[in-house]
Amino acid sequence: MTSTTALIVDDEPLLRERLRSHLGQLWPELQIVGDARNGPETLELFEQLRPDIVFLDIHMPGLNGIETARALGRRTHLVFVTAYEQYALQAFEQGAIDYLVKPIDSARLADTVQRLRVRKQSGAMLDAVLDQLAGRFAQSAVPRQWLQWIKASVGNSVRLIPVDQVLFFRAEEKYTLVAWSEGEALIRKSIRELSEELDPKCFVQTHRAVIANLRHVREVIRGVNETAELHLRNHAEVLPVSRNYLHHFRQM
Amino acid sequence: MTPTIPRPHTALLPTRRQTLIVTGVVLLLSWLLHAATRTPFVAVLGRIGFVATCLLMAYSCAGAVHPRWLPARTARLLAVVVMAPLASLMTAVLTQGTHVFTYLRSVETLTGHILMVVLALIFGLTMSMWAMRSERKERERADQLQAELEKNALERELLDARLRLLQAQIEPHFLFNTLANVEALVAAGSPNAGPVLRHLIAYLRAAMPRLQDESPTLATELQLVGAYLELMRMRMPDRLQYTVAELPALAGLRFPPMALLTLVENAVRHGIDPSMSGGRVEIGGGRDAVSGKITLWVSDTGVGIAETAQPGTGLANVRTRLHAFYGADAHLDLHEQSPHGVRVELHFYPENRQ
Repeated sequence: MTSTTALIVDDEPLLRERLRSHLGQLWPELQIVGDARNGPETLELFEQLRPDIVFLDIHMPGLNGIETARALGRRTHLVFVTAYEQYALQAFEQGAIDYLVKPIDSARLADTVQRLRVRKQSGAMLDAVLDQLAGRFAQSAVPRQWLQWIKASVGNSVRLIPVDQVLFFRAEEKYTLVAWSEGEALIRKSIRELSEELDPKCFVQTHRAVIANLRHVREVIRGVNETAELHLRNHAEVLPVSRNYLHHFRQM
Repeated sequence: MTPTIPRPHTALLPTRRQTLIVTGVVLLLSWLLHAATRTPFVAVLGRIGFVATCLLMAYSCAGAVHPRWLPARTARLLAVVVMAPLASLMTAVLTQGTHVFTYLRSVETLTGHILMVVLALIFGLTMSMWAMRSERKERERADQLQAELEKNALERELLDARLRLLQAQIEPHFLFNTLANVEALVAAGSPNAGPVLRHLIAYLRAAMPRLQDESPTLATELQLVGAYLELMRMRMPDRLQYTVAELPALAGLRFPPMALLTLVENAVRHGIDPSMSGGRVEIGGGRDAVSGKITLWVSDTGVGIAETAQPGTGLANVRTRLHAFYGADAHLDLHEQSPHGVRVELHFYPENRQ
């Protein structure tokens, strides 16, 4: 019978070493065949070495621990390692999945080793737990991500402007002028693209060539012939509202 | 978001209040003239009412649709002056029909007509001035209230920023991971254990929530940033390099505590940590010899910011506290680094502090 093999995955070298030495004391027969620093490395080493057990840090660069765990699936016995993620611990507990908490406690590790020795298969609910964690960790599950930053060349630097600070966008020939609380710049994104990418809760097109940030509007003044003007807080510019876009301001 | 105080409107039609006041004056004046001249009340009321309505509409319309080169105030007075004789003439035309010329030729009726024009002018102009004055006062009151609301909102924001700072400074995830590293060093008997533990203590002491910081300076902030980066380098030696400029000339500068640290933590957490190859964090700054303006910056060569990345509360918090410390002209701006990474710059004049 061949000995049991394991892979240690953590982006912090001292912690990999520590777990290796811990395991060396508690389970000398365990063969630690390799260690990995990130998700892609883990998958690569796994294909080469096919370890029986993978100790997996859930917080890692590249592919995070949850995605890595999904890719490994049931082909190995997973033991999750985490520093402090209250909800992750709850999920592991409920799904009867092996996990360790950093800094690793010897007694706790001894328990885990005991179970691993008899190869009692844990993680019957692995997929459900991973789904639950993915929902909590990654915000990528949000149905629609609105534009949050405007990248604009100012001099020889590229400014990152949070959209909250933007007062308005106005088409200027080939470019679009963006005015924010601290200045103005030209960007390449068109009014049409912006109107699709910006959160419509704050940004409203008021004219063929203008998008205004409602948070910075001080008052709306009705003009003649189904038009209006937007006056801004702390900015002298008066923005036109043309007939086709007046409906945004009917209830205001 | 600050609520907006409604300001006096500039619509075509007069307000209900204006209409009510004019109606009152019209009734009173008609009754007086009816009593003085023995003309039937309805006839007097009809004429005066008509003229008054014309004047009120002229006043209101002129305010709403005056040309840009003519101020609303002048436009309104001008409209009233033009409308007074015009409306009076119209009443004559309406009541006398084709006899209007004979009517105006008679000395007695002409005097009556002129009297009406004069009355219309006097009342029209007086009431216009009065209305404009109260409108101006109302506008001033609205502006003042708006300014106060904005000031309150700013104060509340600052208080929020301070509270958030007190609540969530030391992240448990950071603390336990760092302790795990210290434990690993101790277990391995590493000579690094002592220095690392001292860095952790320095960091914890500075980052521990407290209500009043005696004299927060840039020097203490840079020490804190140094302790934090040293801990992070121990944890990810293959992925994090850093340099912290010494800035001896600015050491004594009063500086909002944890502001630079927040930026450095952001750089590590959102720039370096998600990157498999890691990167470099640099902190620097200086004072412009001519203007006295101070610039501090934190740059990283990490993964950068995605256009749709939700901005955290950290940056907004630093911005608010920077304003509170150095006044409204202090600012924080972000720049994209080439080929990737972010550079955050703080610009302010230290003498502006409040």
